[in-house]
Amino acid sequence: MHSLEITNVTKKFETPKKDPFIAVNDVSFTIEQGKIHGLLGPNGAGKSTLISMICAMQRPDAGTILVDGASVTEHPTEVKQMLGVVPQEIVVEMAFTVEEVLYYFAGMYGVPEHERGARIREVLTELDLIDKLKDRARNLSGGMKRRLMIAKAILHKPKFLILDEPTAGVDVSLRQKIWALVRRLNAEGTTILFTTHYLEEAEQLCESITLIDHGRVIKNGKLKDIQQEFSKNAIHFELFDRCVPHLDGVTEVGSDYEFPMTDLGRDMTALTTHYKGNIKTIRSESASLEQIFLKLTNNSNV
Amino acid sequence: MMTGMWALYAREVKRFQKIMLDTVFSPLVNVALYLGVFGVVAGDRMVDGISYLAFVYIGLLSMMLINSSFSNPSFALIIAKNVGSIIDLQLVPIRNWKIGIAYALAGLTRGFITLGIAVLATVWFIPLHTIAHPLPLLAGVAITGIEFGMLGVAFGFWAKSFESLTILTTFIMQPMIFLAGVFYPIATLPAPWNIVSQFNPIHHNVNIIRYAATGYSDGSVMVSAIVVCAISALFFALMNFVTRRNLRMQ
Repeated sequence: MHSLEITNVTKKFETPKKDPFIAVNDVSFTIEQGKIHGLLGPNGAGKSTLISMICAMQRPDAGTILVDGASVTEHPTEVKQMLGVVPQEIVVEMAFTVEEVLYYFAGMYGVPEHERGARIREVLTELDLIDKLKDRARNLSGGMKRRLMIAKAILHKPKFLILDEPTAGVDVSLRQKIWALVRRLNAEGTTILFTTHYLEEAEQLCESITLIDHGRVIKNGKLKDIQQEFSKNAIHFELFDRCVPHLDGVTEVGSDYEFPMTDLGRDMTALTTHYKGNIKTIRSESASLEQIFLKLTNNSNV
Repeated sequence: MMTGMWALYAREVKRFQKIMLDTVFSPLVNVALYLGVFGVVAGDRMVDGISYLAFVYIGLLSMMLINSSFSNPSFALIIAKNVGSIIDLQLVPIRNWKIGIAYALAGLTRGFITLGIAVLATVWFIPLHTIAHPLPLLAGVAITGIEFGMLGVAFGFWAKSFESLTILTTFIMQPMIFLAGVFYPIATLPAPWNIVSQFNPIHHNVNIIRYAATGYSDGSVMVSAIVVCAISALFFALMNFVTRRNLRMQ
């Protein structure tokens, strides 16, 4: 079962020039229920446009978006009820306290009045913001406002949570807290779509990713598979005794040796048979998401 | 889902309660000043059997109701646009027309509260001892409040900035209010202004409220009732149109 199905979605914007700007170009991907999916791409890649279409804020010019089987364009209100959204920009209600902001926002999602107080306390405790319950939202620090926005998004226990760069500009400790919260919500069954510029964050959290650039999907799939695909097909190993005859194909790389790999099982057997107990360490090298990202986007603007 | 709409309504009511001094007491001071001045100037003057002070008093209260109901949603929406919190209205699972109604009802509520406080504070100085038609008065106040609340929603969504809202208020709303027979019976105006005033929709709101409160009518009450209902339907359509244009998927 897919929580999100995006099929051939295109979004164009009129420009003063004759040609429209294509922000999202024939994008298709799916997110399985209960997974954490990363939507990655350089600035201006089309991530936010895509998210605003998933949130029923913008209408695709072509293609379909289904959230839990419901069409975003045909049933926007039902889709919005299923979603929790943390927008990229920090926006808070000027006049209200933290408690009031959450109380009314939860009400707008249909959370019954008698449940709101307990929910607010639970969420604020988790986000380490409980002592700010009665403070004016506008007086909070940037990181606190970011947490308040996360609290707003999760109060109604959405089936599908969209986090548009939730950790931008927050300190390391808070980032860890947000990661823990994301993992906890996911463990409870919430599907999560996550955009971030911190690629190590995506590596830590996401099971699958979609990489977009210039409005097009350039890579999509499970993170492990993508890393495997981009990994150097080689085994790296260290030896106790370096003065031994080497297997054909083995080259010296610093203090390590590299052996090209075509078939993991066969090559490992060949290696261990040849060097026997002389092997000190052995590992296969996987590419980091950052390397993959840069390779695919040919862009250092991460 | 009604819960969502009522939560939004409650939030908007809470918003003006936070700044009661500005939203409720400031109009009260205006009414008190007007009454002070007119009380001195008018003395014991009568208009078709009712005291001029009572005549102008109902006009002023109507003006206050219209201003409060209109400005509550319009300013709340402009502020939301300016600080970016308008995104909340795009994200929440509430249908667009219900969002409009929630804001308009909050406008009506502010109008009611402002009116109630103003009446309690000033009625003691006015030679008006009975209400001629209490239920029609309640209906007239309610329909006027919701009518201008809906117009305020339309203006709030339509206006791009505080400046455009101020221009609309200063050059359209205020002249219409002042030329609606708040301070004088429009029958006393020379032609063609007495005819032109009949086409001012606010005149009919004032006329209904004044008739229900005092029994004095500045023209046909039936015509005023029809005009008020028609204009309310028009403002409802306008509010829906502008709200949809602003909140729908672009």
